Amino acid sequence: MAALGVAFIALPFAGLVIRTPWSRVVQILTSDTALTALRLSLVVATIAAAVSFLLGFPLAWTLARGSFRGKTLVRAFVVLPLVMPPVVAGVGLLAAFGRRSGIVGVWLYEWFGIQITFTTTAAVLAATFVSFPLAVLALEAGLRGLDERLEDAASTLGATRWYVLRRVTLPLLGPQIAAALVLSWARALGEFGATITFAGNLRGRTQTLPLAVFEQLQTDPDAAFAVSMLLIAIAFTVILGLRGRFLR
Amino acid sequence: MLGMKAVTVVTTAALLLAACGANDDGAAEGAQLTVSAAASLTAAFSDIGEAFEAANPGVTVTFNFGPSDGLATQINEGAMVDVFASASPTWMDAVANDGPGVTGRTDFAQNELAIIVPSDNPAAIESLDDLMADGVQLVLAAEGVPAGDYAREVFANARIAGAALENVVSNEEDVKAVITKVLTGDADAGIGYITDVTPALAGQLTLVAIPDEVNVTATYPIAAVTGSQEAELATRFVDFVLGDGQPTLAAYGFLPAP
Amino acid sequence: MTLVVDVVVRRGTTEVRAAFEADAGQTVALLGPNGAGKSTLVASIAGLLPPSEGTIELDGTVLDDASNGVHIPPEHRPIGVVFQDLLLFPHLSAAENVAFGLCARGVARSEATTRARRSLERLGVAARADARPRQLSGGEAQRVALARALIAEPALLLLDEPLSSLDVGARARVRELIGDELARFPGVCVLVTHDPIEASTLADHLVVLEEGRVTQIGSPEQIRAAPRSRYAADLVGVNAFRGILEPLDDGAGRLATGEGDVVVPWPDDFDGGEVIGLLRPVDVTLSLESPVGSARNMLRGQVTSIEVDGERARVRIATAPPLVAEITAGSVERLGLRAGVLVWASFKAVEVQILPP
Repeated sequence: MAALGVAFIALPFAGLVIRTPWSRVVQILTSDTALTALRLSLVVATIAAAVSFLLGFPLAWTLARGSFRGKTLVRAFVVLPLVMPPVVAGVGLLAAFGRRSGIVGVWLYEWFGIQITFTTTAAVLAATFVSFPLAVLALEAGLRGLDERLEDAASTLGATRWYVLRRVTLPLLGPQIAAALVLSWARALGEFGATITFAGNLRGRTQTLPLAVFEQLQTDPDAAFAVSMLLIAIAFTVILGLRGRFLR
Repeated sequence: MLGMKAVTVVTTAALLLAACGANDDGAAEGAQLTVSAAASLTAAFSDIGEAFEAANPGVTVTFNFGPSDGLATQINEGAMVDVFASASPTWMDAVANDGPGVTGRTDFAQNELAIIVPSDNPAAIESLDDLMADGVQLVLAAEGVPAGDYAREVFANARIAGAALENVVSNEEDVKAVITKVLTGDADAGIGYITDVTPALAGQLTLVAIPDEVNVTATYPIAAVTGSQEAELATRFVDFVLGDGQPTLAAYGFLPAP
Repeated sequence: MTLVVDVVVRRGTTEVRAAFEADAGQTVALLGPNGAGKSTLVASIAGLLPPSEGTIELDGTVLDDASNGVHIPPEHRPIGVVFQDLLLFPHLSAAENVAFGLCARGVARSEATTRARRSLERLGVAARADARPRQLSGGEAQRVALARALIAEPALLLLDEPLSSLDVGARARVRELIGDELARFPGVCVLVTHDPIEASTLADHLVVLEEGRVTQIGSPEQIRAAPRSRYAADLVGVNAFRGILEPLDDGAGRLATGEGDVVVPWPDDFDGGEVIGLLRPVDVTLSLESPVGSARNMLRGQVTSIEVDGERARVRIATAPPLVAEITAGSVERLGLRAGVLVWASFKAVEVQILPP
């Protein structure tokens, strides 16, 4: 049964490896389209992971340590982007930030002339929205697993709350922080539905690797296979590279 | 252990049953026709499909609407499609030459391009030249998609390609997505077909005409895909589109084939 | 440097009420059974749990004043704590753990490390300075924890069950070490323990805590001489009866304990009321047959347990009230005593010492 599971996961990768046009691979991957999409993807995913962490840590802290009414509801909202179809997430972002259909977007556009759709910011927003829950869940789990009494011990040794956070809590959370960053980065890298719906598709500005793959797929499947291989290779390398050290 | 075995047996059985069900080719009773058609044909072909089903009891028509380039690629990659209706000859050629091949290929309609703007036209687009203005948020279909290639052809014809293409903020996967971006108000204008402002959308969208001398006429071919399981039914559908389906196409604004 | 504690502390369903004092250089032991509230009280003194009522003062400085809303957080109290689970920082080496208290207070890392290593050397674990806590043995970890608590020269040292997690061998060594450190420690030390030997050897005076209340305060000798509760008496190995004393006949009274009655001498100038009666186990005689004699207390019950310690044996009997008798190991053999055997326990009324409650 376990072998069946592994086969299920491995088969698409095997298929990609076999179907990739190895003779054209270098030419495809060094093409302007591919390189631009790669650069954009790396930037978007990194910013998305960073924002997910910065916003997610305080939220994870509150969920792990706080007690307030509606905690279940808050956690349900946090997990929501994980279970909703990404296109739906994109539609939701439009309803929030669309220039004319978004409750906040309208205000931003009419008062400040700021339009978010069709910008790289939109791509970052879309990627952050779908990867944020992963960061929060990983960080919350880490905080829950932390022995709070160690923080008590630190305070009896004269450490202020800020010092405790810096020298005890965060170092002990190291592995979970790394997991949060890696997971949210990988998810952000692969985001498609929300991006294409909310940010659009324009080379250099919003066409991340998944969007480039999709576009290639319509006209030149072989090139799509090649760029897909690239995406997977990147994600796989990052996960493998950190796995030994952090993702026990 | 026993539980594991049971799961394996049930899963395999379910998969087999599903496969059997999919390959079930009965008689005219319960026959299934799969039609891949360009996105711009969505409204018209949905109506034609219903009419065809009414005229052929027991037949179900399933549509795949999407960009013609994507549909052609799917067919060439082995998708089980019986009829293909493309928004440009290019992609019908692709199926004919690089794919399974086509039978009974005939042009069945024509279309023209237009600028599509929201009905209140916030960016005041009145002509092709207005698309060159600073800051206009213009959306096109991606290159490879017929509507996208045609649009770029129009720009080239009008010699506004440089400035107009600078204003493109997104390349959508098909012309329907272009319309959607204009509908939500995030795009100031999009290049689509005159048929894209359907009766249903007439209240929200306005067509701005493109001068005939620079406009492109899109020719739509239709054909049965060679090797389909429903060859006879496919041909019947093609004939239907060429015959009884013509008034429907005209009603949606399509021009007759030359 | 006097510590004055007078508080009511609540945590969950536990409530602890305690009042005691200790001077600089003294060690006071909080002694009591598990669940008595000792750790709760220590948490409060450490500043981790503000008291619901009352005050804690150290050296004239008010650390806690519940009615005036004064609460000095732990990081601003001149304290050092050794926790029951030690709570050494797993991501730091032993030396870094010890240096933590200095670094947190702004001391430069190099100086802190030097002082930390010196401290570890004094406690005999210099060789383990760079090891991680999980690599240390129980005794080594205990020393590191002690060094960590002492490094910043606190005015108040709190030790929570410092020996309970150690094996017998380590316990004796560490107890000696703690004794040495306490001897040179100039501040106040509060030691929490459930082990009377630990308390007697390390502390100057004891505060006995039972079910959230202080039942007795005194030096180990005072408590041994006059335990005021069943628990304290048990600790020092004495039978204690607590109840209402009513006159019985000439010179004698009946002490009704609620678990059984005992005949005891009527104290002079006593008008009746609640008392404590103490009976040494060695004064209890055991026999297999109903004794005939002058002893006015003859109780029958099953042996529940026997502990033999060399020549002596302590036999617990489920009489009403329950008793502990001390006889020779030989007698145990001779009488064929084992758990479940029915025996008679007898003692004279005069052998019961009556104390006011």
